[in-house]
Amino acid sequence: MAIGSFFTTFEWSAFINALILGISIASIWLIAALGLTIIYGAAGVINMAHGEFIMLGAYSSYMLQNFLGLPFVLCVPASFLIVAAVGLVLERGLIRYLYKRPLDTLLATFGVSLVLMQGVRLIFGSDPKYIAVPPIFTSNIQFGFVNISVFRLVVLLVTMAIVAALWALFYRTRFGVQVRAVMQDKEMAASFGVNSDRIYMLTFALGAGLAGLAGSLFGVLNIVLPTMGTAYVVQAFLVVVVGGGTLAGSVAAGGATGELQSIFAYFTNDTFARFVLFVLIVVFLRIRPQGLFTPAAKRR
Amino acid sequence: MNLYHKVGAQWLAYLVFFAVLAAVPLAVSDMFLLNQLATYGVFGMLALSISLCWGFGGILNLGQGIPFGLGAYGMAMTMQMQSQDASNPMPPFMLNNSLDHLPGLWVPFGNTTVGILLSLVVPTLFCAIFGSLMFRARVSGPFFAIMTLAMLSAWYTLILDIQPYTNGVNGITPPAPLKLGDFVIDPYSSGAYWLVLALLVAATVAAKLMTRSRFGLVVQAIRNDAERVRFLGYNVSGYETAIYTVAGFFAAVAGCCWVMMTQYVSPAQFDTTFSLSMVIWAGIGGRMSLMGSILGAFIIQSAQSYLGDTFLNTWLLVLGGFFILVVRFLPKGLIGLLESALGRISAGSNKGGNGVSARRLYPQPGE
Repeated sequence: MAIGSFFTTFEWSAFINALILGISIASIWLIAALGLTIIYGAAGVINMAHGEFIMLGAYSSYMLQNFLGLPFVLCVPASFLIVAAVGLVLERGLIRYLYKRPLDTLLATFGVSLVLMQGVRLIFGSDPKYIAVPPIFTSNIQFGFVNISVFRLVVLLVTMAIVAALWALFYRTRFGVQVRAVMQDKEMAASFGVNSDRIYMLTFALGAGLAGLAGSLFGVLNIVLPTMGTAYVVQAFLVVVVGGGTLAGSVAAGGATGELQSIFAYFTNDTFARFVLFVLIVVFLRIRPQGLFTPAAKRR
Repeated sequence: MNLYHKVGAQWLAYLVFFAVLAAVPLAVSDMFLLNQLATYGVFGMLALSISLCWGFGGILNLGQGIPFGLGAYGMAMTMQMQSQDASNPMPPFMLNNSLDHLPGLWVPFGNTTVGILLSLVVPTLFCAIFGSLMFRARVSGPFFAIMTLAMLSAWYTLILDIQPYTNGVNGITPPAPLKLGDFVIDPYSSGAYWLVLALLVAATVAAKLMTRSRFGLVVQAIRNDAERVRFLGYNVSGYETAIYTVAGFFAAVAGCCWVMMTQYVSPAQFDTTFSLSMVIWAGIGGRMSLMGSILGAFIIQSAQSYLGDTFLNTWLLVLGGFFILVVRFLPKGLIGLLESALGRISAGSNKGGNGVSARRLYPQPGE
């Protein structure tokens, strides 16, 4: 595109709208990445089934709403619990045998993602499902020229609340101290009486549950499909990689990548913006391969 | 000594294996089946490239679809341009996308030699640049796998996006088979089958020689412990880039062959599922064995073609479950069963030995 057309089409109001949309995109990517961050950060497991956990969260909300008539506000925490239980079973049944082989956890969880996706497709079919929300969530708010949908605002608030809760969990509770000890040095933590096996199990379940919670929100933003998880998982991985696997890193990385995506998309279009963003991330990793913030962990 | 690790026996196994494959057209007269078998050969080449990079180099590559797809698009553009002439210089889909002249991107593909060269050089060069960027920054292990996955999805969106140049989601369907000079390669002929097989044999032999060479030994040492090799003074990132690039080159060759056989390419070749299934072939067959990986591709793909119709809905479920079991219990894949079976036979005849468990002398995967 020519530089001339670029300046004639530039409008401050539209650009500010793009910036605000960027915050919303950032919050969506961040909430998708939080579970992954915790699982990777604590146990070093690359969970390829994360996208399918998100999808399971959306389907749990859909089921609870349609078969039990649960209000949407209750579906969100219920999805957390359901998917956390799935994660717990998966960790006990499969992942715990693979902690010494990080690349194999990636492969095994990819197998899990195939099974979950196809299993859901067999049960619910490939046709899209919809999650109903209270009418107030479907409206838009207008501040001057800034226009944003209420539900995107809700997602942003939920993301902020979860980040705050996770921070409190990791830095203000006994469990958090144990998780951080295991992250830094598993054997050392074990010699101080921390049951690292149990910590891995609980963090995996927590990460899975967060994916389920994210899924129940994404099911409202988009339609619910067996393949919906794959749309989020690459972005979520990039947030983790750029952030370096820590909570603060993921928040910063989610914010930066979401905002950049929205700005590039404003100047070009969505798909090209994504390509530029990926290339930038490759260049960024050349300069800072360990990510934005890295924990003081020993070499795995 | 375990027969499985005897190099002579391995070469003999290759000879028998490829001799059987070469004899297939003599027995099969159905040209559609032969064409399908040739595409399995292409998949075998992909599995071989994964085995080289992942099994021997320890670099898990989830983006092997990039060199494959780039090679395939290059070949498709070359074949498409063979059907264009001075009176009709542009492929029809460009007219539908309201282009008024042939884009510069397509011009070099008007010449068949240049086109095929570009289809091989561009993906290889991409792997060299991307690999050296990543490996020099010491991005390795799971992070590298994620980055290849991200890169793959970036290419996928880009190819979809530049619809006037690539025909977007519809892909390119060259109307005529590949012509090399006056010679037409009919994809539904024994000649094309043998051509693909010859390339597969060449790739396998080259890969085998490479793993036996000094270069291959350093690469395998890096897989086992990169830090130690670095402390010994080797340029680890150089070796990693090299093996990744060679694997990429093989994938590009496979991409060219694939379009030659199917006369079709679409963004589906850049789909993450396709790249991950290459990893599944090598994983199930046995990533640390070149022939195991090729066999894995043959088995999974033929099972998908024949069982896939019967168990249309449950196929992915079965494949996923089977893959989980293989990763959990058979890290060396199905060929690992053969290894341990042969090991048991030789252990029976060769009691005593030097006291070191033979199992520890050979690399274990996934560590």
